[in-house]
Amino acid sequence: MNQGSADKTRVDRTARKTVGDFTHPDPRITCRNVSVHYGDKCAVRNVDLDIGRNEVIALIGPSGCGKSSFLRCLNRMNDTIEGCRVSGEFRMDGNDLYDPDMDVVLLRAQVGIVFQKPNPFPKSIFDNVAYGPRIHGLAQTRAGVEEIVETSLKRAGLWEEVKDYLNDPGTSLSGGQQQRLCVARAIAVNPEVVLMDEPCSALDPIATARIEELIDELSELYSIVIVTHSMQQAARVSERTAYFHLGDLIEVGATDEVFTKPQHKLTEDYITGRFG
Amino acid sequence: MSTPALALAVALLTILGYWIGRRRSFAVVANDTSKLHSRPTYHGFYVAIWCGIPAAFVFFFWVLFEGYLITDLVVAGLPESVVGGLSADRMNLVVNDILNLASGNIVATESDPMLRAAADHYIQLQSMSRVALVVLVLSLAVAGMGLSLRAVQPHNRVRNRVERVVQIFLIGSSTIAVFATIGIVLSVLFEAIRFFEAVPLSEFLFGLQWSPQMAIREDQVGSSGAFGAIPLFAGTLLISFIAMLVAVPVGLMSAIYLGEYASRKVRALVKPLLEVLAGIPTVVYGFFAALTVAPFIRDNGSLLGLDVSSESALAAGLVMGIMIIPFVSSLSDDVINAVPQAMRDGSEALGATRSETIKKVVIPAALPGIVGGILLAVSRAIGETMIVVMAAGLAANLTANPLEAVTTVTVQIVTLLVGDQEFDSPKTLAAFALGLMLFIVTLVLNVIALHVVRRYREQYE
Ligand SMILES: Nc1ncnc2c1ncn2[C@@H]1O[C@H](COP(=O)(O)OP(=O)(O)OP(=O)(O)O)[C@@H](O)[C@H]1O
Ligand SMILES: [Mg+2]
Repeated sequence: MNQGSADKTRVDRTARKTVGDFTHPDPRITCRNVSVHYGDKCAVRNVDLDIGRNEVIALIGPSGCGKSSFLRCLNRMNDTIEGCRVSGEFRMDGNDLYDPDMDVVLLRAQVGIVFQKPNPFPKSIFDNVAYGPRIHGLAQTRAGVEEIVETSLKRAGLWEEVKDYLNDPGTSLSGGQQQRLCVARAIAVNPEVVLMDEPCSALDPIATARIEELIDELSELYSIVIVTHSMQQAARVSERTAYFHLGDLIEVGATDEVFTKPQHKLTEDYITGRFG
Repeated sequence: MSTPALALAVALLTILGYWIGRRRSFAVVANDTSKLHSRPTYHGFYVAIWCGIPAAFVFFFWVLFEGYLITDLVVAGLPESVVGGLSADRMNLVVNDILNLASGNIVATESDPMLRAAADHYIQLQSMSRVALVVLVLSLAVAGMGLSLRAVQPHNRVRNRVERVVQIFLIGSSTIAVFATIGIVLSVLFEAIRFFEAVPLSEFLFGLQWSPQMAIREDQVGSSGAFGAIPLFAGTLLISFIAMLVAVPVGLMSAIYLGEYASRKVRALVKPLLEVLAGIPTVVYGFFAALTVAPFIRDNGSLLGLDVSSESALAAGLVMGIMIIPFVSSLSDDVINAVPQAMRDGSEALGATRSETIKKVVIPAALPGIVGGILLAVSRAIGETMIVVMAAGLAANLTANPLEAVTTVTVQIVTLLVGDQEFDSPKTLAAFALGLMLFIVTLVLNVIALHVVRRYREQYE
């Protein structure tokens, strides 16, 4: 499986079979033979991938290739979509995620997600962030909740902008601010795996840098899966990169290798800007 | 030409105007429509507007006032010997006779030559008016078309004018609703004022006794009438309260089930079934309340050693509650469905359970609609008459005990006005005062609810 650059010539550069090593020596989540269908349409096809402990893995690929669909499988957020079928095997710390006995509520508390489209609640900024901690009883007092809200907003780089407007509705924020609010909301419940779907798509370079810092901080303890369209960002934050193409996982590998020596023709085309 | 035929002619002319205007706009730019400021359809509408609206306007008012004018003319033409010294009421009778004679109906005073002449005069004036109307309306339509066709020029900003007319129409429609409300309020208000001339306002508002029977003739023995409205409003509130106690929880919970838990198939089946409840005539609910529910409550009550009268507020309230379930459930279900899925996803992604999500995200976001549904149900409950007449009785008891018979405002209004009544006795006028009070109460309820909604709503985009 492990193809070094030396025998690169032997790699079939056109096959739709994953190139590179999709396993991780210390996996947190393992996915095997994963497919996602919406009705008859296949959005993700037979993907194998491990998410390592304390690793940051970036998912890249052209629009519509199934990155979000794959990401949503990891905390079963596809369950809420009508007509969506997920098959394959997901294990987190050895437990089957799609086991009927699996406690989905607990799973989602452990595996947090920041959606591609910011979806703040129509509540105040404060209540948006306090929502999760209150539900899980993470703080007993009002002061405790306030502290969690403040640290979460600070870590998402939003505190300075909103600290005087905590009672304004979250929906009144700008697109980029909403995005950071959703990041703050997700990390407020201390998830152990954080799934981020293009968390910086509407952010300026400074806010982006703050989020990337946050990813660095989080990765000391947790695992992070980030979907991004910015290859620079993938290169900056991630250890491994997975390239998706039309529902197939084309190539996985250490980020610097994928970007400097892509083995598959499709990856190379995408990275050098000939596709997407 | 009869009126319907004339209306049809104007309509056809309008459509023709649209068509000609459109064609003309193509012609003036030799089919190169990019040279037109406004699209050809707008030119068509512009011509149609000028063709149809002034004509329709004149048509409408002519038909509206024609009758009065002609009658006045005929009356003015009557010889002094007939009209002299007649009271207004007698005069009305004479005019009626003339009108009946003119339309060929049988008349009380047979073949009085003077009336016959008046009727002929009437018929003659009417046919003249008809001819004038046809000529005027048709020439207006044609003139409008001709003039507006001149406006079909490439640079004419016809679109803006058409939009303006559309806007005026919309404003007009909304004012009609407002004026209708004002009209109803005023008509009730004037009668109510006459009532308060006979019965002091304080007695009406604070009196604890309601028995509107009055002696009609001087020599009759009878109660002098007591007009304290408190027992009626208490009864109304009691019954509405019981009804809401049934309808709000049941309606809201079934809406939540339908919107959040039910599969698509179940929903498609259950929702229409629930809405059937709203389509059942209230008389049928009345039967049900009086013949099934009330005896049931009485029998079970006596088993428990309670003294239940056979007509009780409880029976009426329960059945009324069932009747208004769909008002709550259907509207709530619609707004719950309108809450974006992304809101639920956001909540569930944070590890909230279904019910936490519903309680903390869905319901607050849907609150305005839910309150709207509840309000609608309350007004139905307050205004409902039939069930109360049949199941709660007519006795104006001042009580908070739901097992006793009570009566409501609407029921009393009906009983006050049913049958032969003098229209200037306090008894009859009391109905208007009650109506006015009811209106004020519902208005206040609405204002409060609006305020609550505005304060607590969570607006999603
Ligand atoms: N809710 C849905 N219902 C039906 N089809 C869907 C749904 N969500 C996604 N798809 C389809 O699945 C495919 C993959 O979509 P997905 O959102 O995973 O792409 P993506 O890689 O995240 O793209 P992007 O970079 O634009 O976000 C697309 O073809 C899309 O049309
Ligand atoms: Mg996506």
